[in-house]
Amino acid sequence: MPASDRRGLRNAVVTLRSRLERHALSLAALATAAVLAIMLYLPVGVVFVEAVLEAGRPTLAHFRSVLTDPFYVGALADVFAEPLAVGSHLEGVAGWLGAVSVSATVVRPIPGLELPVPWLALETPGVRLGLFGFTAYQAALSTLASVALGLPAAYVLATYEFRGRRTIRSLTILPFVLPGIMVAVGFYAMFGRGGTLNGLLGLVGLGPYPFIEGNPLAIVIVAHAFYNAPLVARVTVAAWESVDRRAVETARSLGASPRRAFRDVVVPQLFPAVLTGALLTFIFTFMTFPIVLALGGLQLATVEVWIYDRVRQLAYGEAATLAVLETLLSLGLTYAYLRYESAQSGLARSAGTPARRPLVPDLRTALSPRRLAIVAYGLVVLVVFVGPMASLIVGSVTDGSGLTLRHYAFLLERQLEGASYQTLPWIAIRNSLLFGVATLAVAVPMGVVISVVTARAGRAGAIVDALAMLPLAVSGVVFGIGLLRGLVFGIPLPGGWRFQVTGAVAIVAAHAVAAYPFVTRNVSPLLANLDPAMVESARALGASRYRALRDVELPLVASGIVAGAAFAFAISIGEFSSTVILAGGGDTYTMPVAVERYLGRRSGPAIAMGTVLLFVTAASFVVVDRVGGRFER
Amino acid sequence: MTDLELEGVAKRYDGTAALEGIDLTVRDGEFFTLVGPSGCGKTTTLRTVAGFESPTEGSVRFDGRAMDGVPPEERDVGVVFQSYALFPHMSVAENVGYGLRFRDPPDGQTVDERVRELLELVDLEGMGERDPDQLSGGQRQRVALARALAPAPDLLLLDEPMSALDAQLRESLRRQVKRIQSALAITTVYVTHDQAEALAISDRVAVMNGGRVEQVGRPQAIYREPATRFVAEFVGDNNVFEGTVRAREEDQARIDVGGETLAVSAVPPGADRVTVCVRPGALSRNVGTNRLPVTVETSEFLGETVRVHGRWNGVEIVLQLPGVPEADELTVGFDPDDAHVVATD
Repeated sequence: MPASDRRGLRNAVVTLRSRLERHALSLAALATAAVLAIMLYLPVGVVFVEAVLEAGRPTLAHFRSVLTDPFYVGALADVFAEPLAVGSHLEGVAGWLGAVSVSATVVRPIPGLELPVPWLALETPGVRLGLFGFTAYQAALSTLASVALGLPAAYVLATYEFRGRRTIRSLTILPFVLPGIMVAVGFYAMFGRGGTLNGLLGLVGLGPYPFIEGNPLAIVIVAHAFYNAPLVARVTVAAWESVDRRAVETARSLGASPRRAFRDVVVPQLFPAVLTGALLTFIFTFMTFPIVLALGGLQLATVEVWIYDRVRQLAYGEAATLAVLETLLSLGLTYAYLRYESAQSGLARSAGTPARRPLVPDLRTALSPRRLAIVAYGLVVLVVFVGPMASLIVGSVTDGSGLTLRHYAFLLERQLEGASYQTLPWIAIRNSLLFGVATLAVAVPMGVVISVVTARAGRAGAIVDALAMLPLAVSGVVFGIGLLRGLVFGIPLPGGWRFQVTGAVAIVAAHAVAAYPFVTRNVSPLLANLDPAMVESARALGASRYRALRDVELPLVASGIVAGAAFAFAISIGEFSSTVILAGGGDTYTMPVAVERYLGRRSGPAIAMGTVLLFVTAASFVVVDRVGGRFER
Repeated sequence: MTDLELEGVAKRYDGTAALEGIDLTVRDGEFFTLVGPSGCGKTTTLRTVAGFESPTEGSVRFDGRAMDGVPPEERDVGVVFQSYALFPHMSVAENVGYGLRFRDPPDGQTVDERVRELLELVDLEGMGERDPDQLSGGQRQRVALARALAPAPDLLLLDEPMSALDAQLRESLRRQVKRIQSALAITTVYVTHDQAEALAISDRVAVMNGGRVEQVGRPQAIYREPATRFVAEFVGDNNVFEGTVRAREEDQARIDVGGETLAVSAVPPGADRVTVCVRPGALSRNVGTNRLPVTVETSEFLGETVRVHGRWNGVEIVLQLPGVPEADELTVGFDPDDAHVVATD
């Protein structure tokens, strides 16, 4: 081949490559949009369509029947049935208010234990809450509990210096990624009839008390606090640390006492953070699923649990209608949260962080009432947070009579001798790890691309961001139904073709869609903090947009990408809601699903399986930590 | 090397105009400065030349080639930003060599040779292995300059490169930049809000205001013969009197300023309302014409001279005197030839 031809060919290759490079980002964005459309919007759309179709014709009958059924909406059913009869509704409210009375009583909060507590009881004539009302009610109680448990932690972490403070502060992110079903089993291992708490009480001749059976709602609420109190603490500490010390000092110099300066300067800056944490907690606990399913069952059914039950009964129409209503509610709440968050952002900017006092400077101070209160709070934290996880491990190697390995022996035996239709432990472990890796491979590029696209796109970027963050507001169960009814059952295409996604692929899709927002949330702030002049310098020096991304931006946000990857993996390992729907009768079940299936019979094997899940989750975090990730921004 | 032309360049964001029709020609090898207050459009103009912004109207031409739609990486420009924008994950040498990943070094040099040459040029020899965060602000800015120059660009664009540095460092770095620019004879566009810097360093200066160019010229011309009142007041200290032409004589005119009369020469023909500009140095106690009794308000000791702020006939007056005045009132005069008169628009 003559030299000129060769040069021509080389030029053509170079041109093609530079063209590809120039459009690499657009191509990646397009691919991401396609995945989102098929794996996220299509399934959600299927659920919405299902809710408004009856025998192929559009109808609102499903909504009407749900909204006028006291089982679902309680006392509001009359209002939805006859929205215009305002007079009679108001009469009803007035009559109810007239019957409210307050009285002092004595209650025994711990079932079976003679521990009288004086209580100011609010006597209200029974109002039928309905399914939605009860879901909101337990979410409100859970939010209260989370704030009550989280604020003291924020106070201690923000104002005292002690060994392990930074570690504990980092650990506040951990409950968020712990598998829900595992936490539920942990609570089971602690508070159950044969649990560690009853074991300890038995040593002093008490019990056993039926904590879970006696007051399942209380246990569910504590379990929700396990998840969300660290979240409240986390956002509050972040706000507290961003309070400018000089603002407090200015207030002091102007004559404010320490207490007054705290009230006038610090509290107003903490309030938005506490509200943010509370709103998020409400959203999460409104969509709660595995905790309630495992600890409460159908007698405590929330909307999410009920939808799951409808799916099991193959009542898809009803499930879809409920799913749409739930999604609309959670979308509204999420919208409120995002609006509120964006209104608050930019407030917190500080140079001087507040000084921290030593927690235990000397023995005298250590015995002061305030320090003793902190110690008491520490004990509560120990019971609520360490207790269930420790009980999980302890429960897996003990039974009523002492140490035993028979729970693990059961798992091994099941693996070796179990029939193929049974739930085999190794398959669950293998699936979890495989799906986790596959989720990483899909979710990390998606999340990064979305971060890059939204980083500097202004108003258009905000819209893309909102669309891409939808998974945060769509519950796993709803999404699972959408995938099941849409992609798994298949969508008919013209020409007799069917578009169908099944088994492992559908589950990985569900996990990836649930996980990529966490990648985006970790990467976006880092990208936004980069000096735009750096990318511009690279481009002026000859780098294409894609090369500037590869050479400059990505290396500088690597820590965010690794942290996002850790989240993605943990989300996949722990995902229960959509997996339990999609796994169905096949062999694509994961560890959380296996835990729930074992829970159905005796608790021992489930606790052992939960412990395996705990170790796999912990190991993956250690690996990521070694690789260089960090769980904090 | 390269001529740069801007013709009717306008830029609007959501309806608000950042640039309204900029016409400029920067000659080959020239050190050309865009100066003006913040928000005047000087940085937007520079970014349009670099290709980071595309003009809403008009065109940018390099050596007559229209640059419409050409991305920054294909324009062969070197850009230095105020924030340095060094890549923190690369060493100094990697930063300087980054542009050589995309363009071959000039004159058959290897990348290492070119990087070493550039580091020597900016007096940072031996610093190649350091990380950017181990350098001082002035050193970082010199690395940024070396990085921009390494691929031998046709055009060097400097966006307020000294603004983050302290005053002394700024002056020495300024001399270094000027020395390097003359040695390489590279066409350079420099953006600054500091008029003194603009006058000190440039071959020619464009004074910008409100998205327009008010005046283009050599520093001496800008200083001595400002074309508009804005330029007169923006560039250096000035005394500005608004008045009406009362009588024109052969080589002089009489201007009515708030009831008082001033004699000036060189009044633009045809103008009726005029602005008289007199530099502080031209107002002296020893000049017998145009005597102005000034009420002294404040004095600033500057070393060689004292800057005195005062008031005459309701107009603010700035004087440059050899010593602090003893009295609250003093009378100064100026020669009609020392006044520069522009037509009031």
